[in-house]
Amino acid sequence: MIEVRELTKRYGGTVAVDALSFRVRPGTVTGFLGPNGAGKSTTMRVLLGLDAPSSGAALVNGGPYAALRRPMHEVGALLDAGAVHGGRRAFDHLGWLARSNGIGTRRVAEVLEQVGLAGVARKRVGGFSLGMRQRLGIAAALLGDPGVLMFDEPVNGLDPDGVRWVRRLMRALAAEGRTVLVSSHLMSEMELTADRLVVIGRGRLIADTSVRELADRFARGVLVRSPRPEDLAAVLVAAGGTVEPARSGTAEDAPSGTGEGAPSGTGEGAPNGTGEGAANGTGEGAPSGALSVTGLDAAEIGERAAAHGIPLYEVTPRSASLEEAYMELTAGSAEFGAVAS
Amino acid sequence: MIDALAAEWWKLRSVRSTFAVFGTVAVFVILCVVWSLYAAHYWDGLSQARRATFESAPPEQPLAIALPVCAVLLGALPMTSEYASGMIRTSLAAIPRRPVLFCAKAAVPGAAMLVAALVGLTAGVVAGEAAANGRPMRGFDASFLDHVPYLLAMAVTTAAITLMTAGLAVVLRSTAGTITTGMAVLFVVPPVANLLPGPWGERVWAVLPESLAGQMASPPGASPTRDDLSPAVSALLLAAYVLVALGVGVRVFGRRDA
Repeated sequence: MIEVRELTKRYGGTVAVDALSFRVRPGTVTGFLGPNGAGKSTTMRVLLGLDAPSSGAALVNGGPYAALRRPMHEVGALLDAGAVHGGRRAFDHLGWLARSNGIGTRRVAEVLEQVGLAGVARKRVGGFSLGMRQRLGIAAALLGDPGVLMFDEPVNGLDPDGVRWVRRLMRALAAEGRTVLVSSHLMSEMELTADRLVVIGRGRLIADTSVRELADRFARGVLVRSPRPEDLAAVLVAAGGTVEPARSGTAEDAPSGTGEGAPSGTGEGAPNGTGEGAANGTGEGAPSGALSVTGLDAAEIGERAAAHGIPLYEVTPRSASLEEAYMELTAGSAEFGAVAS
Repeated sequence: MIDALAAEWWKLRSVRSTFAVFGTVAVFVILCVVWSLYAAHYWDGLSQARRATFESAPPEQPLAIALPVCAVLLGALPMTSEYASGMIRTSLAAIPRRPVLFCAKAAVPGAAMLVAALVGLTAGVVAGEAAANGRPMRGFDASFLDHVPYLLAMAVTTAAITLMTAGLAVVLRSTAGTITTGMAVLFVVPPVANLLPGPWGERVWAVLPESLAGQMASPPGASPTRDDLSPAVSALLLAAYVLVALGVGVRVFGRRDA
């Protein structure tokens, strides 16, 4: 369990973290997201007792990290894969770490095996690629078999195989009931790895939510294609849905209409997919005979259409990609920060 | 504390710079042998009259010059190399109790330097005795036991310089800055102090760290010309320097963000 309470960290006149509060629970992978400079690494440094908070608290398993006697048994962390002595061999790097926390050398061999570095254990770290250093850093975090793990940008520099390996590892660690906090500035990465997301911008909390909730929040309705769009629209509006003509191609993100747009269209060209867009007066994009429906899910739409004998060619739930959601969230924070300063 | 000491010892013995420092000590032990052989050869060629006034630096002299340099390097590198690479954060994450980590980072190189100095100086003196081979050469004719007080004073001063440098290193955090400052104190300040007028040149020289070993115990055969401080005062002053440096180090290391 990781708990950050009203954490503020200032460096001179710069506020790096601003009254940030969140919790990271066991059994989940929590993505810690934010643009570069948002305060992710600072928060992690404070959590590890490396930097002192200006105010507030950052607790691990209910207490400050610095109070832990042999911390690697409780918390494993990868902050900066480059922070190693290039002249030291991989085995020795993990060896001194293990010794500092009363961990035996057999465990060193185990984690080297686990991260795929057993073959280069006796090589000097200076010759390692960034990806190999990431693996070494992950091995160091795993040494004490800790219940809490923190990784700062762990996939940086990894090849696709390595990225997939890290994803699987994070998920496996969480599945074992561990608390896993993974920072990234890439939403696309977190989308594939995390269950929950803590999004920060300019040191402030923007969102503390599950990946699913965030996706729902940025839902864009259901795209429906039918040879009888006007009939279908009438049925769906009657069922409580909101229907608009959909432009083909990119995600539809016009403000949700009141539902009368499509039904008011003439719909005469449904088979060849022309007509109703112009009737709606938007005049943009090629009308496709498709409808964008909100307020009803795909199953409900399918059932209504079947009940009225209206054929459907396509029913596709759509949402903004999490990447777009993230960009929207963090863009807002940047604006807020600019105004605030 | 045992964990921290053991971890720091593992770190120290797993980098090449440590071997470079101890290799330097070994090379200077060899130079002690060469110096002793040369002195014996020189002595053999002297007339009886010249032999009576013969004076020579003691056999361990070459090593005595190199040890303070090695001490500065070994005191600085374990600290400043970690600041340079960022590994200091890894160390602090592993051992979050900062006074413990700092003391281990100073004590391990300090102890290693003490042992290296004792072994090296002993080897130098033994080699000198062997080279003199019974010749009544001044500076070489003392028994090993006569050398012991000076060897101990030299070794302790060497270790003290390592500890002081560790304190300086945590304040400066820079390898270049720490080594430059250390070398300046060892090699630039003494001649500058000698330029001071009147008794001040000797007074300042007497309190410099490197001058203290000779004032705690002079090497056998040396003519004591500058013994401004008594052995006890010299020892106390050295201890005070170490305590101040370590105290400042603990304080700075304990408070500063890593």
